[in-house]
Amino acid sequence: MTSSFALALGGLTEVGFWSGVGVLAGIYTLLALGLQINVGFTGILNFGQAGFMAIGAYAMAILVIDFDVPFLLAVLGAIGVAVAFAMVVGMSSLRLRADYFSIATLAAAEAVRMFAQNAQGVTGGNQGLYGFDVAWADASRQIEEWLSAIGVGDANGLLPLLLVVWLVALLAIVALRFLQRSPWGRVLRAIREDEDAARSLGKNALRFRLQSLAIAATLGALSGVFLALNLSFVNPQAFEPQASFIGFAVLILGGLASYGGVAFGALITWTLLEATRFVDLPLSDTQIASLRFVLVGLLLIGLMAFRPQGVFGKRQEMVLGD
Amino acid sequence: MTDASRSMLEVRDVTCSFGGLRAVDGATLTVEEGSITALIGPNGAGKTTLFNVVTGFCPCQRGSVRLSGREIARWAPHRIARLGMVRTFQLTKALSAMPVIDNMLLAAADQPGERLVNVVLRPRAVRAREREAREQARELLAAFRLERHADEYAGTLSGGQRKLLELARALMARPRLLLLDEPLAGVNPSLGRELLRHMQRLRAEDGITFLFIEHDMEAVMNHSDRVVVMAEGRVILSGSPRAVAADERVIDAYLGGKHVPLEEIV
Repeated sequence: MTSSFALALGGLTEVGFWSGVGVLAGIYTLLALGLQINVGFTGILNFGQAGFMAIGAYAMAILVIDFDVPFLLAVLGAIGVAVAFAMVVGMSSLRLRADYFSIATLAAAEAVRMFAQNAQGVTGGNQGLYGFDVAWADASRQIEEWLSAIGVGDANGLLPLLLVVWLVALLAIVALRFLQRSPWGRVLRAIREDEDAARSLGKNALRFRLQSLAIAATLGALSGVFLALNLSFVNPQAFEPQASFIGFAVLILGGLASYGGVAFGALITWTLLEATRFVDLPLSDTQIASLRFVLVGLLLIGLMAFRPQGVFGKRQEMVLGD
Repeated sequence: MTDASRSMLEVRDVTCSFGGLRAVDGATLTVEEGSITALIGPNGAGKTTLFNVVTGFCPCQRGSVRLSGREIARWAPHRIARLGMVRTFQLTKALSAMPVIDNMLLAAADQPGERLVNVVLRPRAVRAREREAREQARELLAAFRLERHADEYAGTLSGGQRKLLELARALMARPRLLLLDEPLAGVNPSLGRELLRHMQRLRAEDGITFLFIEHDMEAVMNHSDRVVVMAEGRVILSGSPRAVAADERVIDAYLGGKHVPLEEIV
């Protein structure tokens, strides 16, 4: 036990470890911010966030590789595709009850992944797609030069991505908070509380839910783009339903109805998930990989027992909600 | 009633069924503009379903619903509300996890800030409307003696206060016709009297027309100027409270066959 602790501490003091965790936490902050606006503020149970993430990554990569679209335009295009997909899913299933809708989103996300796996001509199948990040590599080097000029640098070259992903995530948090404080955000909360009450007061609930889903799709697509940049390739395994559920773990840890909590939850979740890599137990790699989720699960169970509203959630909203 | 010829709401032969059950089966009624009309009938008569149909919450399978002459059958609930027919619910729908003041502001009509484009591009117009609405909300809350609770979560209010909040909130939506589903149920007698006084005052001051479902016969007989009686999905009778209370069919259908002299009810 002593030796495993020493190993763990050794790993935890490396800058490379923390920049890796930071990038993943940033990516999942974006992903889970989308879940927050859906689940925490609109009351729609979106289990398909991984699908929007996949669409973001694939659409960006395909636009860059096959159509020579400049990177930033490709990102915008990818968001457009994800939003369009969200509208199709939303218009066909948002009228359903909340639990049916969640199943529909899960199925839609799986359909996206299956498509990516099997439409080899477009997506490269299980081999995935490479070579979409030339523009990013240039930008990344440029940022690294600036950083080294002020004496900051790291071994694995993740700092530029870390900075950009968190810049985008923080901008998203600020923008979402701004929207949430607006009369528009008030209608979302009313729909979360009681859709019929909102409708009886002249609010077109379907329109607001679709907008909420579109924003979630936008954030999901952005997280997918950053995931692709982080991995340097896109392949279907990255977008298993697991991604959505890690998003939910992040959401619940941080607390419902708090955007800042999402960032906190993402940092804790990914620290845990990544730190378990350093645990030196007589276990195989797959067993260690499962252990990561056991730990996150235990943490969530503990949280539910002692602080069910999450770290930053509001207790009153939870108790009075029903 | 000064202008009895103008009808605010005309329901003609409306039908709504769930599976094999015809909850509303060819109901026809008229609500005159400026009236306070009560809708009574035994449990299961289809009163709430009729409310749901005319406000767009339940599908209208047949018949016509006209609000100030405009055909609105099969419209979505939010469009009907915006046209000026606003309802409350039998089980109060106070938005519990939102502060009382937000409940009020939510209902404010014509808030440009409910569109994302305006939130970003016209923040001034949004703030101006918000200020206006806040002032109106404070006044209404004061009139309903809820101003002390403005910043509390609506879920902390008592049942009676929630009924008042729901009525005050409905008023924020600028209704011409208010449909109240059992406004007195679960409300203590003094709050109930207050609610009825508000109804009279709003009709007198703002010209709001009321249609309300109620089982409290004293309230129905003393505070409405027309009574519509439903049984088994149909309207079986309508008329002045006096005429209705004396009618054999009402006594059979509603009062369970036991003859109650009018003097005892009124």
